[in-house]
Amino acid sequence: MTEIDINNSSVEENVIRVAPVELGIGSKNKLKDFARFMLPKEGNLNFCFNCGACSSGCPASGLAGMDPRKFVRMVCLGMDEEIMANDWVWMCTTCNRCVHVCPMKVDIPQLVSIIRGQWPKEKKPKSIVEACERSLKTDTCSTSGISVEDWKFIVEDVVDDVRQTQPGFEKLNVPMDEKFARLFLTQDSTMPLTDPLEMAPLWKILHLADADWTYGSQGWASENFGYFLADDDTWEKIVRKKTDVIEQLGCKVLVNTECGHDFFAAKQGLEKFKISHSFEVKSIIEYYADWIREGRLKVNSDWNLDLKIKFTIQDPCQLVRKSYGDFIAEELRFVVKETVGEENFIDMYPNRSNNYCCGGGGGAILSDFKEERLAYGKIKLAQILETQATYCITPCNNCHSQILDLSHYYNARFKTIHLWTILCLSMGILGENERKYLGDDLAMVGLK
Amino acid sequence: MLIFKVGAVAKHLGVHRNTVTNWINTGKLQASLTSAKRYTISKKKFIRFCEEKHISKTARELVILETETQTQNDIKIIEKGIKGNIQKDINLKKTSRLDDEELTQIPGTDKLMGSVMVVGGGIAGIQAALELADSGFYVYIVEKTAGLGGVMSQLDKTFPTNDCASCIILPKLVECDRHLNIELLTLSQVVKVQGSVGHFSIQVKKKPRYVDIDKCIACGICAQKCPINVKDEFNFGINKKKAVYIKYDQSVPLKYAIDPSACIYFTLGKCRACEKFCPTGAINFTQVEEMVTITVGAVILAPGFKPFDPSGYDFFGYRIKDVVTSLELERLLSISGPNKGKLLRPSDNTEPRKIAWLQCVGSRNQNNCGNSYCSNICCMSAVKQSMASLNHVTGQALDRTIFFTDLRSQGKESDKYFERAKQEKIRFVRAIPHTMEPGKDGTGARMRYMTEQGEVIVESFEMVVLSIGFEAPEDVLTLAGLFDIELDQHNFASTSCFEPITSSRKGVYVIGAFQSPKPISRSVIQAASAAASVATLLADQRGSLIKIKTYPDERDILEEKPSVGVFVCSCGVNIAGIVDVDQVVAYAAKLPYVTYVENNLFSCAVDAQESIIERIQEFGLNRIVIAACTPRTHEHMFQETLKSARLNGFMLEMANIRNQNSWVHQQDAKSATNKAKDQVRMAIAKVIYNYPLKQDRINVVKKALVVGGGVVGIDSALTLASLGIETILIERSNTLGGNALNLETSFKGENVRSMLEDLINKVSLNKKITVYRKTTLESVSGSVGNFKGFLNIAGEIEHIDFGAAIMATGGKEAVPEEYLYGQEPRVVTQLEFDKKVLFHPDEVNKVQCIVFIQCVGSREPQRPYCSRICCIHSVKAAIKLKHINPDIKVYILYREIRTYGEWEEHYSEARNLGVIFIRYETIRKPKVRKEDGFLRIEVFDPIARRPVRITADYLALATGVIARDNQHIAEFFKFNVSSDGFFNGAHPKLKPVDLSVAGLFLAGICNYPKPLDESIEEARAAAFRVSALLLRKEIKSEAIKCFVTDNCDGCALCVDVCPFNALSIIKTDGQKGLYNVKVVADPALCQGCGLCAATCPNDGIMVHGFTLKQLMAQVCAAVNTGQI
Repeated sequence: MTEIDINNSSVEENVIRVAPVELGIGSKNKLKDFARFMLPKEGNLNFCFNCGACSSGCPASGLAGMDPRKFVRMVCLGMDEEIMANDWVWMCTTCNRCVHVCPMKVDIPQLVSIIRGQWPKEKKPKSIVEACERSLKTDTCSTSGISVEDWKFIVEDVVDDVRQTQPGFEKLNVPMDEKFARLFLTQDSTMPLTDPLEMAPLWKILHLADADWTYGSQGWASENFGYFLADDDTWEKIVRKKTDVIEQLGCKVLVNTECGHDFFAAKQGLEKFKISHSFEVKSIIEYYADWIREGRLKVNSDWNLDLKIKFTIQDPCQLVRKSYGDFIAEELRFVVKETVGEENFIDMYPNRSNNYCCGGGGGAILSDFKEERLAYGKIKLAQILETQATYCITPCNNCHSQILDLSHYYNARFKTIHLWTILCLSMGILGENERKYLGDDLAMVGLK
Repeated sequence: MLIFKVGAVAKHLGVHRNTVTNWINTGKLQASLTSAKRYTISKKKFIRFCEEKHISKTARELVILETETQTQNDIKIIEKGIKGNIQKDINLKKTSRLDDEELTQIPGTDKLMGSVMVVGGGIAGIQAALELADSGFYVYIVEKTAGLGGVMSQLDKTFPTNDCASCIILPKLVECDRHLNIELLTLSQVVKVQGSVGHFSIQVKKKPRYVDIDKCIACGICAQKCPINVKDEFNFGINKKKAVYIKYDQSVPLKYAIDPSACIYFTLGKCRACEKFCPTGAINFTQVEEMVTITVGAVILAPGFKPFDPSGYDFFGYRIKDVVTSLELERLLSISGPNKGKLLRPSDNTEPRKIAWLQCVGSRNQNNCGNSYCSNICCMSAVKQSMASLNHVTGQALDRTIFFTDLRSQGKESDKYFERAKQEKIRFVRAIPHTMEPGKDGTGARMRYMTEQGEVIVESFEMVVLSIGFEAPEDVLTLAGLFDIELDQHNFASTSCFEPITSSRKGVYVIGAFQSPKPISRSVIQAASAAASVATLLADQRGSLIKIKTYPDERDILEEKPSVGVFVCSCGVNIAGIVDVDQVVAYAAKLPYVTYVENNLFSCAVDAQESIIERIQEFGLNRIVIAACTPRTHEHMFQETLKSARLNGFMLEMANIRNQNSWVHQQDAKSATNKAKDQVRMAIAKVIYNYPLKQDRINVVKKALVVGGGVVGIDSALTLASLGIETILIERSNTLGGNALNLETSFKGENVRSMLEDLINKVSLNKKITVYRKTTLESVSGSVGNFKGFLNIAGEIEHIDFGAAIMATGGKEAVPEEYLYGQEPRVVTQLEFDKKVLFHPDEVNKVQCIVFIQCVGSREPQRPYCSRICCIHSVKAAIKLKHINPDIKVYILYREIRTYGEWEEHYSEARNLGVIFIRYETIRKPKVRKEDGFLRIEVFDPIARRPVRITADYLALATGVIARDNQHIAEFFKFNVSSDGFFNGAHPKLKPVDLSVAGLFLAGICNYPKPLDESIEEARAAAFRVSALLLRKEIKSEAIKCFVTDNCDGCALCVDVCPFNALSIIKTDGQKGLYNVKVVADPALCQGCGLCAATCPNDGIMVHGFTLKQLMAQVCAAVNTGQI
């Protein structure tokens, strides 16, 4: 992070000559009245006493001339039109770092969601609206619109490839619609189209761990942009679709692959829409850690003994701060330390539940504000650079895409990888064509 | 009545001492324990016991003879009101271990006890103990740690005077320790409470100290030899202490203790090094936990607070080395702290050059920790620390920043303090950083914050201080359960505005931070207030259980030649390690008038005192020189030793060869020894000219005057009356009630009117109170105990006599000069608004929008202080408006919201109800216009960064409180008025309700604006202070006073310099029609400062104990080596 000269504060308001906001007799604040009604009693926006801790810690502070404190204030003062005309709600990732520190527990992310919901559909970010529409059109719930048939075909195709080219995995099985499998695995749905080989490392891990799992031919896509769009209808429909598929198969656990926002959307959605279900929602990181402890995954960090390549990790907000808390962050660290060696792991600061959002979270990666998203990510970028790690492990697809974008855009030299990649690498089972995100230093490690 | 020690009885009866203890514990020998660790038993019972045990008559008579003699020489227990069965007299019963039979035993008497238990030995507790013990009650202090002092003893300085905290509290601690009527129970906890008001029977568990308090002389050898290092909790683990420790260097009692969880003898069964090396045999590993049952009439709970622990919160960054709590900083700043007063940051022990303070850590937070209240003192504490820290680093370059939300300096002189800090270039930033991040290379910390202007800044600091808030201590739940008192939602004690220190259980009072977070000054006031309640409750028992020390008659030494005894203290190795004490002894022996010289290992030890008494008698000594440590702590003790040996206490001089010699000249032993000789010689030279001094007795008029008939005046008068003091209450207007007449409810919501009616009713019915309405005080003369005054009662002059007076003249709402006040009827003051709108729901239902402007005319150059109550008043009014009509729009325009302490909850409630708070700066004040029949108020909202215009029905101006015209009262009483027009107390922390003139006190708003609860506390505190003065038969004055000699020619130079107005001039008729002028001194007013003697060109006035002869002798001895 760069230090800013505090004497250089020339923010004497230009707005001072702007027409005043009319308050008192005759003034209205519809938005606030509505938000108050929607917000939890405890974390109500009324409680705000403008301390500004939220804005101090928010990477979106300053984007679109807005920050969380100002946002709450403007709603409180009834500046409805200006609030509704500001795109900031789409730049916020609802990462909850503001609520984490707010002395009054004002639920700003929820307020952001409520106001997103007030936007007319035609004004909402186009790419997300379209993604939502696509995911409603197919039984797979995929935002990229993959059909059930295509999905089955691609999986079969890749499995065949692995069986033929990777020794030891001749009998690799990728179960599809396997009734009563314990785990129902979701999958980022862009990958089968753009990056199908990236799916294989996870399969190999599940194979080695002897996991009782299955994909579904339907409802498997690990996306739910209805939540980001504050389109409750879509959000609910997708969660219901997934629930139906899982219940029909009789699976016990919805295992979220490395993706934060869908994990949160699913878990929160089940609760919010009071959808009855008989399965749990868990992150695959929990399983990685358990399997390593149980000896089912024989990871080993010896490969890095001489290389001493440094790794850092990004704690996905939706997974850590918003869902599990520090528990999953500790599990994540356990997995990473086992695979790269404790001495080669460098934490960012702050981290765990107090981590900075990268800027892609919650679905923001898809919203149309690329420039702002990259500005948002500057803090994350600085944090990663400060660790001087060569690799940033991102156990969340949105984080992965965003941090990858950041590194490219700002010409940073670190690499961004999925957790499964390094897991496979440390077990010596990472195929030659599964190394897309690795640098030259690791390109040949573990290859025979 | 026989008074005996177990050992003495055992010796004469020919049994082991444990046998005697067993007899007592099993009830066979029905003796009871006194606080002086002795036993009492009636002669009859003892004889009966001896007969039963077939003890020989000779042995029995020997015991009786010895113990009866001892009774005469020893402490005399006054037993007023306690008659009948001896068993009932026991107020302290000792059992060796928990004994169920003992527990269920409740004294079978309805009589009230004249004793009090104070739980908690912090400033609130010890102040309450001293107040009560000084006025006829026997007090037990139960303290859970090994020493008194509480958090205040850990502080470096106090606000708003930057006084040294130790210098304020230590004398009080020493006083507690040596007070005959205060008994300290350290390492002790209450475990069971039985009985009820008037006679609580309380069981206290005393943990073993493993050090015999009577034997320990705090030489420190045990700790030197102890091999075990543990975290020093007093210094928050910044440094280490030993397993055998004193809590801190000035701890009271100054006795070591062993921490059994760390001591390796207790953990591994080996070592005992301390025991081996202890020069007095004080280590006692066989001590066991004791249970004592104490019967008291009332209880004061002062368990203090627990500092908020920030370690569980990732964003406070407390794991970063250079992020410390505000209390840790106090230790880092303290001269007695781990760095001896040098401010060094923890990471690399270098001086920080840039420090940040972060406010509201663990306060005003209902999300992370649930402490939704304001901790009241942290803002002022941070201002204090930021100012003080400059003196603890080298050079002048120290960058200091305070991050805050609302800076709450609502106390007396506090806003000036805040302004002073700003002038000292301390930067105040209205922002709260989100997270502390580690700085470069593991030092300092970095933070990101958004300014109020919306700018995001990343800034690094070399050190960060977390201004941590108060929490209720963990054990208060147990304590509250034991005493069956109610706690509030935050586990502070529940009290009402009208009875601010009364718990829900009768006879149990709650004071200090346990009642609610508060500064020291208010804790001290609450202590006196609690003392008032206790003294009222137990009024009949005043003096029933106290001990009075008596001394044998003084020997007449006037005809004797000087015969000096010199006692040179080795102080273990403290002195003898540097100074060659034997050389000093040999040297002193050769000096003139010296009859006897002795080298004591520890002059202050009990056996040394006995030895001094014996030597005085044996050698007929009439003057004593003690060459040891400082007279501040030890002179009083040695004076008592002299008195026990039939010498006047003032025939003593101390030569401080420790603090002023061995401690400061450690590098040069030879010169130190020579200096010690000089010091001893000087002391001998002076003591030759010492003469016996007497303390004058002043007779007092047992009548009090209360000036002002508001709630404070009425409450003071009622308290005085209930304490048995006849009181004159004067009120200038025709009605009693003062400002409270304008209030409907207190801040906590109680009905003020019914309370007021009740008070007025009581005061008019009370036979001890004479109320004069339409009355003012015209003039006053006299001094403490004997004031004479003239009242103007509606034009008629009446003369009154009184011994003491309380000023309760109150204050009034200021009249605004801006915002269309006076031009537009709907622009009103707060009180006008209450009367016109708030108290009339009909009117409230007619209006749609109300605006309040805070700080109108306040906190500006012409009236620079904060009136403390207006924020809460407006917030409460806003809440009421919203309750009557939720649709009403309410805006409060403020500069800082100062809803300190528990009132913060009101601020939250108002916000939750939708009241909008908009902050303004004085450079951009709101603008008010009248337009289209409405009021339009324009102001700039700093958060939305937009101007706003509010259309309103009413504008209420919070104008603050101004003092009444107090100048004339202050002039004829000759005490101070502050620049703000309020009366000034004698000391803001130590004596908040005493005026600088003896016998005069102040309470309520005339001292400083404050809400009802605080006013009532002060009313009672002041009343108690008056009672403590007037209920004595006589006031004994100090002996060190000035006296006028024959040389006085009446030039009156001294009259001008005397700060206490103790001197005046009288004219007497002289020869040939001329008259003589001479100065006369009023000993009641003289404080013995000596300014007069120093000013007088003619030796016409001097101070006893410091006469010119004495001082000259001392100076001559200093310059003429070897001579006296």
